[in-house]
Amino acid sequence: MSPALASFHHGRREVLAAVADLLIPSGDGMPSASEAGAAGRWLDEVLQLRPDFGPPLAAVLDRLLGADPSAALIKLRTDDPAGFGVLAEVVAGGYFLNPKVRSAIRYPGQQSVAIAHDEPPDYEQDGLIASVIARGPIYRRTP
Amino acid sequence: MAEKGHDQVPDVLIVGAGASGAVAAKRLAEEGFDVVVLEQGDWPDYKKARAPYPDYELTSGRDWAWDPNARGAPADYPVDDTESDITALMWNGVGGGTVVFAAHWQRNMPSDFRVRSLDGIADDWPFSYEDLEPYYVRAERDWGVSGLAGDTAFPGGDGPPMPPVPLGAMGRRVAMAHNDLGWHWWPGPNAIATRKYGRLNPCTQRAACLWGCSEGAKASVDGTYWPVAVERGVTLVTGARVKQLQLGPNGLVTGALYVDRDGNEHEQRAAVTIVACNGIGTPRLLLLSAGNAHPDGLGNSSGLVGKRLMMHPFGTVVGLFDEELASWQGPWGQHIHSLEFYETDPSRGFVRGAKWGLQPTGGPLSMTHSYPWGEENAIWGPGFHQQLKKRLGRSAMWGIIAEDLPEESNRVVLDPEKKDDSGIPAARIQYRMSDNSRRLMAFHQERAKESLEAAGAYETVIAPFIRATGWHLLGTAMMGSDPSRSVVDGWGKVHDVPNLYIFDGSTWPTSAGMNPTATIAAVALRGVDHLIEERRHARAAS
Repeated sequence: MSPALASFHHGRREVLAAVADLLIPSGDGMPSASEAGAAGRWLDEVLQLRPDFGPPLAAVLDRLLGADPSAALIKLRTDDPAGFGVLAEVVAGGYFLNPKVRSAIRYPGQQSVAIAHDEPPDYEQDGLIASVIARGPIYRRTP
Repeated sequence: MAEKGHDQVPDVLIVGAGASGAVAAKRLAEEGFDVVVLEQGDWPDYKKARAPYPDYELTSGRDWAWDPNARGAPADYPVDDTESDITALMWNGVGGGTVVFAAHWQRNMPSDFRVRSLDGIADDWPFSYEDLEPYYVRAERDWGVSGLAGDTAFPGGDGPPMPPVPLGAMGRRVAMAHNDLGWHWWPGPNAIATRKYGRLNPCTQRAACLWGCSEGAKASVDGTYWPVAVERGVTLVTGARVKQLQLGPNGLVTGALYVDRDGNEHEQRAAVTIVACNGIGTPRLLLLSAGNAHPDGLGNSSGLVGKRLMMHPFGTVVGLFDEELASWQGPWGQHIHSLEFYETDPSRGFVRGAKWGLQPTGGPLSMTHSYPWGEENAIWGPGFHQQLKKRLGRSAMWGIIAEDLPEESNRVVLDPEKKDDSGIPAARIQYRMSDNSRRLMAFHQERAKESLEAAGAYETVIAPFIRATGWHLLGTAMMGSDPSRSVVDGWGKVHDVPNLYIFDGSTWPTSAGMNPTATIAAVALRGVDHLIEERRHARAAS
């Protein structure tokens, strides 16, 4: 385990799990952030991908340690928008790395979709482009 | 380093390996000129283009960040924007801004070249749309542009060499709505290959144009122009940060001093020098090159170097739809564009206009961001999953490029305190959005909202204004025929220094309301063709 990951000890992860579930609670058949592993396995993955998030995230979590999570989150958002931004990006970033979450929201990732060269092309179908042409030029000519 | 400057002086030195430098280098090499290019950055690393992988949204913001201050890469120089309403964005490396541009390929309209004549403000360009049109056509073939000829917002003529990207479900919806409204739309012109085209692969619609195209389908010049230029003999030196242009006793530029990655200083001599460093880097270099003969900066007898900075205020309007649109996919890029409200209409209370481009909205992580969704619509908390379901794959957005007018108080100056890591003074920008720009943007946002509502959006969001939208850096070394009121002539030649040229967007007298790469490329092509002719005559006479 890298020193950066090791620094996210149990205490920090507990704080993260608590505030993460305020950001992404369970509902609508979807797991909460902590249930999806956003403070566990997927936090590890996020920090490996974005080690630059480690120090600001640690600082935010240390400030929240021992505080009421709900009140602390409101205060963080007001007082430290940048810190809140890192926290939110880590939580949501980890949440959406979970393949089960991606499957549940029906997001397959940025897929390779070849461009079909339809006949006729889609801009010609149903007289779409013909309508624009019929309206005529809309530009001012060079004087 | 074995510099040509020590033993042989190349015909041409180009500073900057972005779009205009690429166009110039390739043409010069094709005509047999000996060319050296100094580029402060490196080649982009497409191993970091992660669109096919689950971590794409997490990592793209770091590896392909647009703000040099946030990115802080070795090639970047600080741009102090604390006195600016807009942050300047750029890519410092081979390919320049085309590495991360959205590839919207917009010609300027005829009126863009005649703003003074038609609207009584700002300045006319020293050439017309008709003068530039043949260069647009050539540039579109050279770059690899897709689109459709016959756009009713432009005079007739040849169009791009490849068919346009598909309208897609969202484009089709909005196109139908515009037909109902009687508003203009047209299939989006993009510097994106829709078929195999030269070195370009066909687009696979991963919507990653802005974060390094992983498919080799976007016509960024690091993948198209520069390999060809290098094959043709151009010497491209990376990691070479130019600190000063040098002036000889005869008033001609003799070349440049630059610093390599190890901090060593070199001199690169050349018969002709072309500056192509964008609307921030170019005036910075001219100001850095002040000397006894040019105490206010090289080429600055008009006092206009650095002034008239234009950056295109940018707006976004998002629509939410009931229909599954897979709106994380597609070119990004634009499916369609609209120029319905581009031309001046005095009854609107402002002059000039804006271009709209219809774009995807991104993957799930993008749905959580405060831009474009707005803090007031923050997704966090009990409604998270419902909001995500509403946004992801069911949204479309208009990006609005607003024309800002040239004002001398909007400018680039040398930073009196900050320096880059080579010890060279940084740039500072001072830019305030005008009332005209604000009225223009408010009008266009409302019309774009109506467009999406007519297309069936059950909810729309006008994105909050954010500063980090200064992709287009224009106007800071204006072209014109009067040396007392311009820095370069209509061919890009610096009035004060006849062997020094500027080919980037710095030279624009007005900003148009278009994404500028098409016109930067066409103007550079026109300028370098003229330079080639001039040098041929000079050679023949000598």
